[in-house]
This record gives sequence, C-alpha cells and structure tokens, in this order.
Amino acid sequence: MLEDAEVTGDGGSPGPSRRALLAGAAASLPLLLTACKGVQALGTPPPPARDIRVLAAAIAAEEAMVARYAAALRQLTAGGGTGGAGGGTGGGAAGGPAGAGAAAVAAVAAVRAEHVAHLAQLRSRLIHPPALTSSPGPSAAATASASPSAGAGAGAGTGARASRKLVLSELEQAEQTASDRLIGQLDGLPPALAQLFASIAASEATHVPYLRAAGQSR
Amino acid sequence: MTASPVSVVALLRAALEAEQAASYGYGVVGSHLPQSSAQQGAATTDWITHLRAADYLTALIQARGGTPAPAAVAYQLPVPVQTAAQARVLAAALEERVAQAYLALVAVPEPALRSYGAGQVRAAALRAEAWRGSTEPFPGLPAASLRG
Repeated sequence: MLEDAEVTGDGGSPGPSRRALLAGAAASLPLLLTACKGVQALGTPPPPARDIRVLAAAIAAEEAMVARYAAALRQLTAGGGTGGAGGGTGGGAAGGPAGAGAAAVAAVAAVRAEHVAHLAQLRSRLIHPPALTSSPGPSAAATASASPSAGAGAGAGTGARASRKLVLSELEQAEQTASDRLIGQLDGLPPALAQLFASIAASEATHVPYLRAAGQSR
Repeated sequence: MTASPVSVVALLRAALEAEQAASYGYGVVGSHLPQSSAQQGAATTDWITHLRAADYLTALIQARGGTPAPAAVAYQLPVPVQTAAQARVLAAALEERVAQAYLALVAVPEPALRSYGAGQVRAAALRAEAWRGSTEPFPGLPAASLRG
C-alpha cells in the first residue's frame, strides 16, 4: 500500500494507481456476480416472524383436519352406504343402524364444513411467500392415512357400529388436541389473529360433544 | 388494538356486564324448563357458573383499581321466552354474548388475561352447544370481522 502511494504521488495525479484499480475491480467482482444471480445469492433470508410461523402451522393443521374428515366421510359412507356385505337391504328401510349411520355422516359432514370455513379464514390472514407455501397434500394425506381406523370400515369381523364409533372417537380426540394447541399458541400473536385462534379453538372444542352425541345415536 | 390499562378495565367491565346479564337470563331460562328436569338442573349449573365468573371479574377489576358496576335489576332479553324451546334458544344466545365479551379480552396482550379470555370463550361455546345441539364455526366472533 505504501508503494502505491509513492507511485501515485510521483505522477502528480490524484487518481488511484493501476494496482489499486485492479484490486478494486477484483473486490467488486463478487458483488457483480451476486447482482447477476439475484437476491438468492445474498444468503438465506431471515426466518419468518413467530406469528407467521404459527399461522402457517395452523393452516397446515387445519388442512390436515379437513383431509381427516374427508377420509372419515369416505369410511362412514363406505361402511353404511353399502347396506352391509351380507344383507344387501335398502339402507333407509333397514331401520336403526342405517339411521345412526346417516346421523354420523351428517354430523361429520357438518363439522367438516366448519373446518373448511376455519381454513378459509386462516388462509385469508396470510399472504404466502414462496418459501412458506404449505404443501397440504402429503402431510394431510399422511395424517389421514395414519389414522388407526383407516381401512377398518369394511373389516369382516367389525360391525358397522363399532367402526363408526372408532372413526368418531378419533375425530373427537383430534378436535380436543387441535383446540388445546390453538389456545396454547395465543401468546405474542397480534390481537385479531389471537381472537381468530381463540374462536376456532372454541369451535373445535364444541365438535367433541357434538360428535360424541352423533356416535351415541342408535 | 393495543390495550392500555384503562381499556383493559373497560373490557373486564364489559365481560362482567355480560356475565351479570347471563345470570339474570338463566333465571328466566330455568323458570321455563320442566320442573326438576335434567335441563333445569343444567340451567342451574350454568347460572351458578356465571355468578362465580361475575365474582371473579369483579375481583379482577378491583385489583386493577377499577370500580365494577353492580348488576342491574333486569336486562333486556335477546329473544322472547314463553316455551321451553325458546328458553333453550335464550340460553344459547346468552352464551354467545358472553363469548363475544370474553373474545374482546383475548385482544389484550397480557398472556394471563388472554388465556383466561380464550378459556372462557371455549367454555361459553361448549355451553351454547349443549343448549343448541349444534355447533358454530366462529363462536364470539362478529360476522363483520370475518374475511371473504
């Protein structure tokens, strides 16, 4: 550096030396390359704020819940709608069991509609940046298929009523868990989002006795 | 929407008023249900729950230096009641009002109050479901606050 200064001074010109220019060009090369590569080359973006992460997780959980209810509906309609493997009677004319199955299907469909409404409201509060776009397909499907009762609806030794109760019981458990989780996440959320979470948590808690009542109808 | 200490007391007072109105309303509910029935028993249980909640809110308000308003002699009922079925509708309506009041408390940033408010919203929604026999997607949340 000292050598550069002397050379520059000798020439009487205040401009930078040739060596300094070369060094500057070399130093600026990575910046130029960065500009060409775009924002991604600047490094990993900062992690999203906690409320964004919590909201994204709530959306994913609600998506999984909707998928779970869709799977439950398929099971219930497959088990009750066929009229029984051995009987083959007309569903509605069979009396009690078919009526109870219809009540369970109606209850599950009604609750599923509420989850769809929850999901719409949660999604409306978040503008998805690309990195946070959730992929409901695999996780929701995994949750639904992870259900122990999946595929049990048409089991040979299992009655339709037992299968129905199992499906409803698992939904009740999932609802209680979801409600508790939402209430446990309220701290630090913006007021409006906290209120939405609390309201959805309350709704999901009410699904427990509602589904239980549907399962007890005979 | 940041709540100052003054507005927290105001929210607590609003919740207290909802609880007092519910306590009054459950008296009307119970009087229209069959004597000694399970439903009348449930109404009595819920009435006591609201009385205790009012006491708790009164203590909270006083602890914050506020003055709790005394209960009114009578309250305007949200629905007319002449039958047992209407009494059940009234009970559900009372619970919805209580849920609304507590949901306002959830906007308070204080974790303890927020958690308490959320718990009370859930409890009110559960009682409303028991009276109504059906569920609501957004208990306590005004329709105007929903998007889309």
